[in-house]
Amino acid sequence: MEAPLRVRLALLLFIFVHLSLHTKSFSQELQIINAERRIDLTTHIVTVFLTLKVENLGASPASEVLLAFSPTEVEHLALVKAAATTGKRKKKTYVPLDVNSVELPDAPNGTKYFSIALVTPLSKGDTATIEVLYRLTHSLEPFPVEISQSESQLVYFRDSAILLSPYHVKQQTTFIKTPSTRVESFTMVEPTKRAGTELKYGPYDNRAPYSYLPILVHFENNNPFAVVEELEREVEISHWGSIQVTERYRLFHAGARHKGVFSRVEYQTRPGAVGASSFKHLLARLPPRVHSVYYRDEIGNISSSHLRSDFLKSELEIEPRFPLFGGWKATFVIGYGLPLQDFLFESPDGRRYLNFTFGCPLVETVVDKLVLKVVLPEGSKDPRAEVPFPVEQRLETKYSYLDVVGRTVVVLEKKNVVPEHNNPFQVYYSFNPIFMLAEPLMLLVFKKIILSKSEVAKDLS
Amino acid sequence: MAPKPIGSPIPDSLYPTLSVFLLAIGLIVTASFFIYEATSSRKNRSLVKELTTGAVASVFLGFGSLFLLIASGVYV
Repeated sequence: MEAPLRVRLALLLFIFVHLSLHTKSFSQELQIINAERRIDLTTHIVTVFLTLKVENLGASPASEVLLAFSPTEVEHLALVKAAATTGKRKKKTYVPLDVNSVELPDAPNGTKYFSIALVTPLSKGDTATIEVLYRLTHSLEPFPVEISQSESQLVYFRDSAILLSPYHVKQQTTFIKTPSTRVESFTMVEPTKRAGTELKYGPYDNRAPYSYLPILVHFENNNPFAVVEELEREVEISHWGSIQVTERYRLFHAGARHKGVFSRVEYQTRPGAVGASSFKHLLARLPPRVHSVYYRDEIGNISSSHLRSDFLKSELEIEPRFPLFGGWKATFVIGYGLPLQDFLFESPDGRRYLNFTFGCPLVETVVDKLVLKVVLPEGSKDPRAEVPFPVEQRLETKYSYLDVVGRTVVVLEKKNVVPEHNNPFQVYYSFNPIFMLAEPLMLLVFKKIILSKSEVAKDLS
Repeated sequence: MAPKPIGSPIPDSLYPTLSVFLLAIGLIVTASFFIYEATSSRKNRSLVKELTTGAVASVFLGFGSLFLLIASGVYV
């Protein structure tokens, strides 16, 4: 009876050793030697530049580096970009790396992960420097929640003094840059220093994985908190020579809500002291050679706009009908035409494609929901969109001028869009040029019917 | 290897001129069609002549109105 018992024990021990080896397969192999985090709080979109120097302690080569974020951060994360850098200072070369969101089963406290895929796997003992950029939207909480027009806007920023990481961090420093020197309060976690507009947390040595020290910075931020709640962009392609873009905006001021009266007299006589956090100008960057630009809303045309164009870009500066204070909204439509040959190209396999920029033309605004509709001409087949980041795609039909079967519309939807998403994307489709004759033929047949009717009428008389 | 841009089959600046000429010719041919209808009697009327004049007039008027639509900004 003893022998089978011993065999069972040995088997159990064997299984146990195997399991313990597999659970720690990723965490303890890499170590971050130095982490430097620069948090830029100057605009209402939080930008974080993270420089990691990663060393491989384990035996097997590592092909990915994991980034950890808390669940609240991930909700507001607009984009994560990573690049591997080699060289120093002026001779730095950047190699962009793919970043994907991953799910790990044993994540403590609901931590979410992003995995950076390295170009060449990191062998044992090697180090690599990785620079990460990520942007968080809606992360600055206005406090006080309501202000009058003569008060300045103060916001809370919550983060951790220690970098949240699944790896052991040997040394780390965090720098926080505020837009002005007015910082009401900030959490002191030794060593902390404040110099002008910069707060320094660190250096901290030898922190265990998943360590988190919450900090709160209460500072003044009067930059325009321009948020577009919904933006619908319609790009209509016509093979007769132009692309017509129509953009419908629902603009919202996402800062501290305005309370009390709005005194126009005070606003205009004391511009610096009154309405410090309000904004009245918005700048839209449009492509060069834009024509027929209009800016209107439901009431009619809004004439307070300026268009300045040069060879590289056009800048449309618009002023809504009223300055926007906290909690106020404005809706308007901007439309413009563009020459076809700047954006429509022929691919080597005979299909046509539209090369256009995704994203919102307004500078430094967050778009909560962006719907981009590309209306292809009648008779287009097999539409396919290629976008450099994940979007929701679907097809619709639109009936426009001289349409019989309707035009295919490729609809791309994305939530939480920041200016870094203004990248070109392509929509491929096949089109037989003979279909361009469909429109004049329709008009021709219509005219012929009229003439033959008069002929028949004469016959009967 | 720059991608080959696709433009319109006819240069954009020609659209207004082209529409004026095509519509003018079309209206002239339409006028001749109606004059023929008015001056001919039941006996010496030829269907072939009527149909050809009508067809030519509608071709010119059709293309002329298309270019008129495009020139005025309605890119159909």
